Amino acid sequence: MNLLFKAGGGLFALLLTAGTISAFKSTAVVQKGNAGLAMETIEDKANLPQRIKDNQLPPVIPYESKGDLAVDAYKNVQVLGHLTTGQMTGLMNAMALWVAPNDGGCAYCHAPLRDATGKVVKSADGTTQVDPNNLQSDELYAKRVARRMLEMTLRINGDWKQHVQGTGVTCYTCHRGNPVPKYIWFDQPESDPEGMLGYNANQNSPAAVAGVTSLPGDALQTFLETDENIRIQSTHAVDDGNRASIKQAEWTYALMIHMSNALGVNCTYCHNTRSMGEWSTSPATRAQAWYGIRMVRELNGQYLLPLARNGTLPANRLGSFGDGPKVNCATCHQRAYKPLLGQSLLGDYPMLAQAMPQPAKTVVAAASAAASATNEPPASPAEPVAVPPQASAVPAPSATPASSQPTHPAPSRSNPPRP
Amino acid sequence: MAWLSFERRYRVRGGTIVGGDLFDFWVGPFYVGFFGVTTLFFTVIGVAMLLWGAVLGPTWNLWRINIAPPPIEYGLSFAPMKEGGIWQVVTICALGAFGSWAMRQAEISRKLGMGYHIPIAYSVAIFAYFSLVVIRPVLLGAWGYGFPYGIFSHLDWVSNTGYQYLHFHYNPAHMIAVSFFFTTTLALALHGGLILSAVNPQKGHAVKTAEFEDGFFRDHIGYSIGALGIHRLGLFLALSAGFWSAVCIIISGPFWTRGWPEWWSWWLSLPVWN
Amino acid sequence: MEYFNIFTQIQVSGPPDLGPPLKGNQFRVRATRMSTWIGWFASAQLGPIYLGYLGIASILFGFIAIEIIGLNMWASVGWSPVQFIRQLPWLALEPPPPSMGLHLPPLNQGGWWLMAGFFLTTSILLWWLRTYRRAKALGMGTHVAWAFAGAIWLYLVLGFIRPVLMGSWGEAVPFGIFPHLDWTAAFSIRYGNLFYNPFHALSIAFLYGSTLLFAMHGATVLALSHLGGEREVGQVIDRGTAAERGALFWRWTMGFNATFESIHRWAWWFAVLCPLTGGIGILLTGTAVDNWYLWAVKHNFAPQYAQVYTIDPDPALDPKLPGPPPASNIHVYTESPGKPAAPAPTEVKP
Repeated sequence: MNLLFKAGGGLFALLLTAGTISAFKSTAVVQKGNAGLAMETIEDKANLPQRIKDNQLPPVIPYESKGDLAVDAYKNVQVLGHLTTGQMTGLMNAMALWVAPNDGGCAYCHAPLRDATGKVVKSADGTTQVDPNNLQSDELYAKRVARRMLEMTLRINGDWKQHVQGTGVTCYTCHRGNPVPKYIWFDQPESDPEGMLGYNANQNSPAAVAGVTSLPGDALQTFLETDENIRIQSTHAVDDGNRASIKQAEWTYALMIHMSNALGVNCTYCHNTRSMGEWSTSPATRAQAWYGIRMVRELNGQYLLPLARNGTLPANRLGSFGDGPKVNCATCHQRAYKPLLGQSLLGDYPMLAQAMPQPAKTVVAAASAAASATNEPPASPAEPVAVPPQASAVPAPSATPASSQPTHPAPSRSNPPRP
Repeated sequence: MAWLSFERRYRVRGGTIVGGDLFDFWVGPFYVGFFGVTTLFFTVIGVAMLLWGAVLGPTWNLWRINIAPPPIEYGLSFAPMKEGGIWQVVTICALGAFGSWAMRQAEISRKLGMGYHIPIAYSVAIFAYFSLVVIRPVLLGAWGYGFPYGIFSHLDWVSNTGYQYLHFHYNPAHMIAVSFFFTTTLALALHGGLILSAVNPQKGHAVKTAEFEDGFFRDHIGYSIGALGIHRLGLFLALSAGFWSAVCIIISGPFWTRGWPEWWSWWLSLPVWN
Repeated sequence: MEYFNIFTQIQVSGPPDLGPPLKGNQFRVRATRMSTWIGWFASAQLGPIYLGYLGIASILFGFIAIEIIGLNMWASVGWSPVQFIRQLPWLALEPPPPSMGLHLPPLNQGGWWLMAGFFLTTSILLWWLRTYRRAKALGMGTHVAWAFAGAIWLYLVLGFIRPVLMGSWGEAVPFGIFPHLDWTAAFSIRYGNLFYNPFHALSIAFLYGSTLLFAMHGATVLALSHLGGEREVGQVIDRGTAAERGALFWRWTMGFNATFESIHRWAWWFAVLCPLTGGIGILLTGTAVDNWYLWAVKHNFAPQYAQVYTIDPDPALDPKLPGPPPASNIHVYTESPGKPAAPAPTEVKP
């Protein structure tokens, strides 16, 4: 018996030592606040290589900036008419890579090539061919969605700098090579009190969106679709008149847990939790998040939900309640404190930095006017330029502002990102 | 002098662990001993350091005085005094004083022919403190993870450290520790109440015997743990509370960096119900 | 190495002790059992138990409360037994929404919660009465009952008194393992960080103090158990060497000491003051004080820190929001003016 105790004790001591040694200095930290205040983000170092891998920028396929205006060269250009054909080609190549590299590329949005019977023509390896004479067709819903998404991207980068600053977003920020972004969300089922028992007030079951707590699972619906007030703390010590309930605090808490997990940070990233509501002790990230919430509300309300309501999205892209897909913080951030760790693609694609007024078609001499009135193929080639992707050793956070000119140098990859 | 009526016969020499007869004497009611001297030494220096820290700080308000650990950048090295070095010296003095206190308790136990239960129990409390200011900071690589010395400032540390894990109540070791704390308090109330109810019976009754102690609890809940058992249980509950508290903070950071609610995902994804 | 008396080395067995004489002896259920396993650590005898009307009623009401809670939890996962066990830590019986105020809510919107609360409270109060009467029946003091009353005070504050003062059943605690922890965190967040509530601080001091005291007292008695230190009542009325050494240990260590009786008074008060002050702290929250951190700032005990990180002012005070989004450029595409939108091209490129 004694021997058993001693052996067990020895084994325990061994495991303890092994565990302790393995844990020693296995973490990295970002300290935000005063010494001893514990406003820190502690990370397991083992997670960092994967984080860098997940946030690498895609390769940039070089493109020329010259050419006629797209509004003249192509048909049915409604948002990007101010681009040159070279820029248009470059952007379209990029979008194919950013959104649907494994789902048909250009053919995800552009009408397929059909034979005389109307059957879709596929190439030898089974990929669908795009009809180069019918790039203007809107028959695929994805193209119509993409058009609105372009308006959304231009809106974010041009008008929401309070949140995205000069880094901005591109299609890749959310899509990351997937036609449907990984981190979208749909409405949760509401608690159904029509039965006799089982009322759970939309909480009290493991809520993935609230970090697997039993906090309310419909916090996103509550706060990211409507203008519902998130604040619940009183601003006076006594006699505040604040009627917010504890349950409302649970809803706000659920939203905050979502935001923390979406950014891979914790509460102290934006708050000094001694007083969550106090702005004079909250780091500047909190104000940026404030704008982020307003931005998400606009994106959902003005850009995404209308796509579902007006029938652009087919039924298989809707949620179980027929609601459209919506964005939350995770859609862009994808568990990083800044999307793509703060690296910007706007330096390489400055046309996405801001919406521009759409020019009218150029009025030219009668002969060419007659030519452009028919269905002739455009002057510049419309096929994508096939260039092997560059081997990118170290991605760079190039954050050139939106006002840079259309001509641009080859991408520079100098500064490694901060993981 | 400050003697109890029966004290004289117990004040004998001997039982010391270190120092022999040199410090084997009393000052008033206090036993000195070698470890009394070391306790005093560490305490005086430590308190002096705290006072110096208060001098350097913005306030003498007892609730607001704050002696902060070094910033994380200093890692595990000694920091300048004004940038956390004072905190480090206070910590060393605290550990020295607490350790001396435990050893002094051992000497007094020896002198009185008692078991060593008290210093061993006290060592669990020291372990809890040690885990907060030494074990966890060393595992994380910086003294700056220790908690600041200040009445309300140390609570700010608790709040922020807890929220680093989004919802610290979901930490399973924390749940165990909290349960032990509440159970200890419950058991203490029951035990204190039981003894007092036996020694202070109803009007006109004589003091009740051990049969009544057992009898009350058997009538009440069908089981009486007994006079010896309740003290074993109480000691076990109290030490478990301290132990699991130390565990719950050591695992937060060195062994788990995400939110604590997320830890429970393993239960939800067990193959048995998927 | 000395014998620490943590486990009993030799168990003595004999006839079970059926308790002191009692007028209501007929209610004692004389079933007893000796458990050797328990006997290594504590008293081996299980039973007898007094089962009077109060006790039976209390158990009945308590059972009903548990059934209401459990069945509602089970219903909330669609009566699936697998999901019930899987999600059990997350499940709850939820109080009514705040919009109901103090009205009687519909059954399935907090009505069951109210009913379960009523049954549980009744069960607890009946049990309290049992605690009181069992002591009285044996001619003992009622200290255990009054300690229990301290805990009941906290329970009533949380589930009844404070919700009534706040005008909303929705303020009360849900029945559920994780959900009651969510409630706790949300309560602190809502009211500006409960660490700054002085009664909360006091309650914690008594909680930790109770743990400290029981460690001290338990260790002291065990350290004197070779001298009969655990026979405390005897030591109280006829001080033996165990009591004397115990007192002297603490006197020599920390300069003062208790007696074998008074240590139990220290114990009783520390333990009872924990829920007592805690209940006061809960009661004052939301009624008297709205934000404990700001209250601390007002009363000069919140620490100040130098500003070491960038701070932005509250954006809501001066929001630099963009104007409404521009009108969309998107229009329905037609091939050329006058023609309707084309489906697929009729030409095929070779």
